[in-house]
Amino acid sequence: MRFFGRDDDHAALQPLRQIKLFSSLTARELKVVYGLRHERHYLAGEIVFDQGDEGQAIYAIVEGEVEILRAEGGSPHRLALLAPGEVFGELALLDQAPRAAQARALSDCRLVVFFRADFMSLLETHPKIASKIALALARHLGGRLRQANAGARQEGHL
Amino acid sequence: MRRLQPSGAGPLAWCGILLATTLALFLFQHLLWLVLPFLFGLIAYYFLYPPVQRLVFAGFSQEAAANITVGAFALLLIVCFALMLPWFAAHAVSVQDTGQRYLQGGLTLLNETLRALEAQSRFMRDAHVADAVSSGIARAGEGFAQERLPALMLGVAAWLPSFLLAPFLAYFFLRDGRRFQRFLARAVPNAYFERTLHLLYEVDRTTRAYFQGLIKLTVLDAACLAIGLWLIGLSSPLMLGLITAVLAWVPYVGSILGCAVVVMVAATDFPGSPGVAYAAVGLFVFVRLLDDFVFMPLTIGRSLKMHPLVTVLMIFVGGAVAGVAGLLLVLPLLGVVMVIGETASIVAADPRLRARHAHARRLRLQSVTRDLG
Repeated sequence: MRFFGRDDDHAALQPLRQIKLFSSLTARELKVVYGLRHERHYLAGEIVFDQGDEGQAIYAIVEGEVEILRAEGGSPHRLALLAPGEVFGELALLDQAPRAAQARALSDCRLVVFFRADFMSLLETHPKIASKIALALARHLGGRLRQANAGARQEGHL
Repeated sequence: MRRLQPSGAGPLAWCGILLATTLALFLFQHLLWLVLPFLFGLIAYYFLYPPVQRLVFAGFSQEAAANITVGAFALLLIVCFALMLPWFAAHAVSVQDTGQRYLQGGLTLLNETLRALEAQSRFMRDAHVADAVSSGIARAGEGFAQERLPALMLGVAAWLPSFLLAPFLAYFFLRDGRRFQRFLARAVPNAYFERTLHLLYEVDRTTRAYFQGLIKLTVLDAACLAIGLWLIGLSSPLMLGLITAVLAWVPYVGSILGCAVVVMVAATDFPGSPGVAYAAVGLFVFVRLLDDFVFMPLTIGRSLKMHPLVTVLMIFVGGAVAGVAGLLLVLPLLGVVMVIGETASIVAADPRLRARHAHARRLRLQSVTRDLG
């Protein structure tokens, strides 16, 4: 059956292996996650999502770079520059709050996208995989928090 | 970078939703050979979806889970059919006779009831209501047997192969549904991607909630009717309960037909006691009320989140536009069109998304024309 394209090519899992969120998953577990992903291509300068958008998905970079910008006082201020293997928009998995910043492709990008609804169903159907991803996500958010604290200390807010 | 979240669909969008549903029903009326197997395929898909999910939960792949579930279900059907075939072959003639007997029983009850009313009412006696109704039914029966029945039987025979599509559709929905969703999502531009995919999930959620609600409602209805009919003392209460519950899938007409079946059986099983038939009618009305006010809001009502006025209005529109098939199709179709219409109107009315799409198109044009001077 080639109509919709088969997903069972083992080499196709390779891009997912380099994503930090899935680094602790086994090949079999990765295959389950692979079945849930959407793949998108963005050109340099293209907006992935806007600040204030209703977040429905988490994005992971397979190729290219993405910058995270926040509008402060009318002009965009760069918060982060993300490289292949990194994820963004992760808060959408946890709540339905509006996006806190804008994501824009800095170079031509290949991204994989996971929807919150899929992640929620993963929690029911494959709790082990979901817990591994949730743990990686918690570590990732912890790292972000530490970075933010360090930044605030440098600026004398703490 | 903006931040104004668009509000829900306005009155214009709602008019569009109702019009699109009516138009779709009109078109579907001419494609019933495909639409009805598709609908039954969907019902089978949502019926088999929970066991497939359980197998996925147990560690099977989606494909293996679909193969096992559909295989087991097909095996069960084949075994049931094999067990039923000898009984059916032996009772084929008596089944036909029983049908005629029940029909005659129902007509006798109707005639006796009308005569009893004539005895009470001078107006009805003067109008010869019982005779008029009896002769009208006899004429309609003869006309139906001579003119409509052969065409109906031919139509059923012609439709039968297309119904074989239903199990195949259910199998492929179960196996490739997610892959098909991704295939559709690939066609959506980046700017609209997140919103549109959310829409696809919502359509899936709405249809799943509707059909799983319908299956639960059928089980509840069948159980209540079977218990009631068993208490009244009617023969084959479970079979009758199931038939009437399935007939209730067609709003209004199905319920009336189901009630008529139950009354005919009651009148034939207890020819001298019209009280039993009246008790069956009472039970039917009670279960309908229970259905409308308790079961329906708990099952289907919750899934569609529609105003009752819109629901009733659209049922009438469905019946007027596409007959019985329209009555059957209108609610699930309205549910899907409603989700699509609401989201599409929000997406189309969002100037920021349109601007982002235009920006992406400009970038794409620049990238492919960079070396053309």
